[in-house]
Amino acid sequence: MSSKSPRGHPMRRPVSRTPSWVAPVAVVASLALLVAAFLVIRWYTTPVAPPPLNIDAAQLVVSSITSLPASEFDAVGKGSANNLIKAVSGSLLTGSNGRPEVFYFGAEYCPYCAAERWPIIIALSRFGTFSGLKTTSSSSTDIYANTPTFTFHNATYSSQYIDFAAVETTDREQKPLESPTPAQQALVSQYDTSGSIPFVDFGNRYASSGASYLPDVLSGMTWQAVADSLAQPGSAQSKAILGSANLITATVCRLTADQPAAVCSSSSIQAIEKTLG
Amino acid sequence: MLGLVASLAGLGVSVYLTVVHYSTIALACPANAVVNCEQVLASSFAVIGGSGMPTSAAGIVWFVVSAALAAATWRARGPRLARVQLAWSAIGLVTVVYLVYVEIVLLGAVCIWCSAAHLMVLVIFLVALARLPEDRVAS
Repeated sequence: MSSKSPRGHPMRRPVSRTPSWVAPVAVVASLALLVAAFLVIRWYTTPVAPPPLNIDAAQLVVSSITSLPASEFDAVGKGSANNLIKAVSGSLLTGSNGRPEVFYFGAEYCPYCAAERWPIIIALSRFGTFSGLKTTSSSSTDIYANTPTFTFHNATYSSQYIDFAAVETTDREQKPLESPTPAQQALVSQYDTSGSIPFVDFGNRYASSGASYLPDVLSGMTWQAVADSLAQPGSAQSKAILGSANLITATVCRLTADQPAAVCSSSSIQAIEKTLG
Repeated sequence: MLGLVASLAGLGVSVYLTVVHYSTIALACPANAVVNCEQVLASSFAVIGGSGMPTSAAGIVWFVVSAALAAATWRARGPRLARVQLAWSAIGLVTVVYLVYVEIVLLGAVCIWCSAAHLMVLVIFLVALARLPEDRVAS
């Protein structure tokens, strides 16, 4: 007995021309290709770590970024910086010279620390002088890879207004570099509750955790290129770095009772000081 | 059945990541040059539109719906339900592709817990895809 449709055609189940395994395999293969493409894009877009500058070249860059005219700081104001500085309470933190201390806690591999060192160096250089700063870059295997920066490791700072202490816990390969003293560790535990780095304690009066701008502003740049960009108030680097430097400067001015006046009495610093808690 | 199991597994991973986000529980995850859950989950991409709500919370919603669809198609077969399941899983797969792009290209780090959830989405999509022609032939 043969089955026939009402119209006389033999009944037949439709046959799928393509085997059922083809579509899933095609999807998996396409996804594998996409992942491979992503890896290639990542490889091509990751900036190569520029070789560190020699001492003389590094000093030229430091001199360039620490001798910017006051008018440029005023022109930038807060710029594009994100104010992460919060008021904290505690007994005044003083350094080895008995002056209010700015304490930095970070690591060389950390891209956010790399970003934040630029404004820290620029701001504190308005109150004193760094020496022994060397160039380095953040980790090649972390986010915002190879962000150009300096290291506070083996650098010194002198000022008649403030003391500065820094701890770089690891190098850019995340190998141990420096350890905080028990007192410094206590500050980190007390004020850096999020555990983020960089952490900066401004004399136990103010503290910040994290970077005040994103490191991608510095992506692929050399130290000299960053220094050159800071000479232009309208550049993205100026708005981020000098804006952050102004925030730090205003905070330090709070510690020094607005000394030196040449720095702290500027309209932009005074305006930022009013916004600090 | 496989789609339901994958949905429940993905739901478990999403719940774990969401609990970790809102608590002080340390994430069980190794950290090396490639795998770094902290780096991925601490990035701005780990929250939805800067809201503070973790992406894994959206994962919970997606896997719950996916599990419901898998259970429904298990109990009652039909081309419409199969197509809905395929469409839903396609949405998940497109999102996964974007998140993998973020991990590899933008962050340069991979979160293994996230990858586990992504794998579950892929399994769910493949199950939905494999079911579709079967329903089409039977109809």
